Amino acid sequence: MNTENADHFSSKPVHDESPPGLSICVHMRSLWLQRISLCLCVSVLFTAAGCASAVSTGQSASLSGDDLRRITDDMAMKLAGDPDVRAAISAEGALPIVVLPVENRMTGEILPRGPAMAYTARVRTLLAQKAPTDFTWIVNRDEFNALRARELSGVDLGPSPDAIQPRYALHARFQTLTNDTRDARSIYYLCVYELTDITNRKSLWTGSYELKKAVVKGFLD
Amino acid sequence: MSSPPQTSSARPRASLVASLPHCLIASFFPLLLTACGPSASERAASSARTAYFAGDYRSAAAELRPFAKLTDENFALNNARLGLTYLADNRLDDAEAALLNSYEVINAVGVNAGGRSLGAVLVDEKIRVWKGEPFERAMVNFYLGLIYTLRADHNNARAAYENALFKLRDFDDASDNARKDELESNFALATIMLGRSWQRLGRDDLAAASFARAAQLNPRLAHLADPELHRRSNVLLVVDYGYGPRRNTDFDGSILAFFPTPSQAGPLPTPRLLVNGQPYDLRGAAAPPTDLLALAQDRKWQSIDTIRATKSVIGTGLIGAGAIMGVKGVNETGSRQRTDLAVAASLLAAGLILKATSQADIREWGILPRTTYILPLNLPPGSHNLTIDMGNGTQQSLLGLPAFELPNERTFYIRMQRFSAGPITFTTIPSPAP
Repeated sequence: MNTENADHFSSKPVHDESPPGLSICVHMRSLWLQRISLCLCVSVLFTAAGCASAVSTGQSASLSGDDLRRITDDMAMKLAGDPDVRAAISAEGALPIVVLPVENRMTGEILPRGPAMAYTARVRTLLAQKAPTDFTWIVNRDEFNALRARELSGVDLGPSPDAIQPRYALHARFQTLTNDTRDARSIYYLCVYELTDITNRKSLWTGSYELKKAVVKGFLD
Repeated sequence: MSSPPQTSSARPRASLVASLPHCLIASFFPLLLTACGPSASERAASSARTAYFAGDYRSAAAELRPFAKLTDENFALNNARLGLTYLADNRLDDAEAALLNSYEVINAVGVNAGGRSLGAVLVDEKIRVWKGEPFERAMVNFYLGLIYTLRADHNNARAAYENALFKLRDFDDASDNARKDELESNFALATIMLGRSWQRLGRDDLAAASFARAAQLNPRLAHLADPELHRRSNVLLVVDYGYGPRRNTDFDGSILAFFPTPSQAGPLPTPRLLVNGQPYDLRGAAAPPTDLLALAQDRKWQSIDTIRATKSVIGTGLIGAGAIMGVKGVNETGSRQRTDLAVAASLLAAGLILKATSQADIREWGILPRTTYILPLNLPPGSHNLTIDMGNGTQQSLLGLPAFELPNERTFYIRMQRFSAGPITFTTIPSPAP
């Protein structure tokens, strides 16, 4: 290293020689750079760690819990208020009904056993609460035996399927028109509920609920 | 000798030099984040993979289970691994639950919105929620369909196979029919199983259409896609064989590729079947209806690939420019030297950051098979001892496999393992499917 450089490095700090205004300016700049550095660090950390979980975000064109509520509320109301059903209740007393799971006829949409049962079971629950004397709900034989095997306390299983013969069956069929492309997925749902007289296979009541759901696929979908 | 006079323009430069350490500290955070070793989840997945291929499904599931509960960016991936492990262990309820977890994330959109997309582009691709390549998405749906087929829930099985075909079409524009045909010809597996499901649901018209489609896409499958073969079969063996595609990086870690290619791995074997010691004539039904090694060569995430490659190239350029600037700075003196060295350091740091954040995401399912054989059999009612022989030393024995009078039928899933030949013993004859 030459002497000039050595002198240069050993000289007093630069800001000591500078006019007061310039020193403040340099100091401010340094402060800003420190702040920018800090912001960078924080933003990187937030980007890395501040992400939502895999299940808390995102949308789907599948049926959701809200749809379950809307569909079953509507169907329970329509079933209970139907003139033919009211007439049958007047004529026969409480209608003995067995509840069956939803038949999945949807394109590309899985409906597992639990949700398939929930879509009819909630109609049963709503009607059992609102009109307890109009319907006698009979648990499907397999369900009854499964529940009894589990010896659930506090669960009212209702009459045994062997003790009372259901005359009506409440069942549902879900169908869809599905359009799935690289950019979007849209599904038009038709949910048909039916109360059928098992003895003669005549339909006492039919109700339907329609809805359309669509999602647009994004950058990393 | 007095110090050289400081010009006013040199002073801000000096302050820049003084603040350089802060910039470098900020710059090294991404490096710290990206340059970590394998996570606990990755180590568990690796260990589970080893156990899985040794046929020790219980240990594999035990490794994966804690991580499958975490709803992080690997939620769908770990549940896909766990679901397939449970399926091989014939734990259908657990397999369904795990695969449904994966299915829901894969089917949802916007799970990577906001911070995750930004993080995947700027910092590390692994920040994004794993949703898999289209063939992996298709396989999640296929295995769900298989679970429902095993339970004779043909409506849900049909829906899952349909969705598997939808997922495969995520590759390219829906208007490109030739490309769709090419992809589906490598995945006739779902089309054939869809046809079988339609047949079991009493929709012979739709079944015939699916079988015809499979035969049209891949003429080698004409016999396997014969509706009459499926109508007469009271036992269906679904046999997973081989090792699926693995992710690897090329060049400097920014180029992602799947290996091996079908030509590197060689042709798929044709299985031979012995029933009670006698050869069973499978005729053309033993043709492999899919080759995941071929499907994996078509990938979806071209956009992020381009971003990653661009970052890598720019990073290389910045490192080169930094090196040149550094050499220049070393040969200079005084404030000019300091300035040039500072610029060189900045360029090198920026280049290194870009290189470090352009590493490809190599998370993978890891236990997928190369192919899945569909073997529809017509066996006399009763118990049978079967041996599936791949002709290359890989065998699997099935003892006491039950068969029933049609229309009752049973489906069995078998994972062929090179180091675990069984036997799988069916001690109790399950009741006929409804």
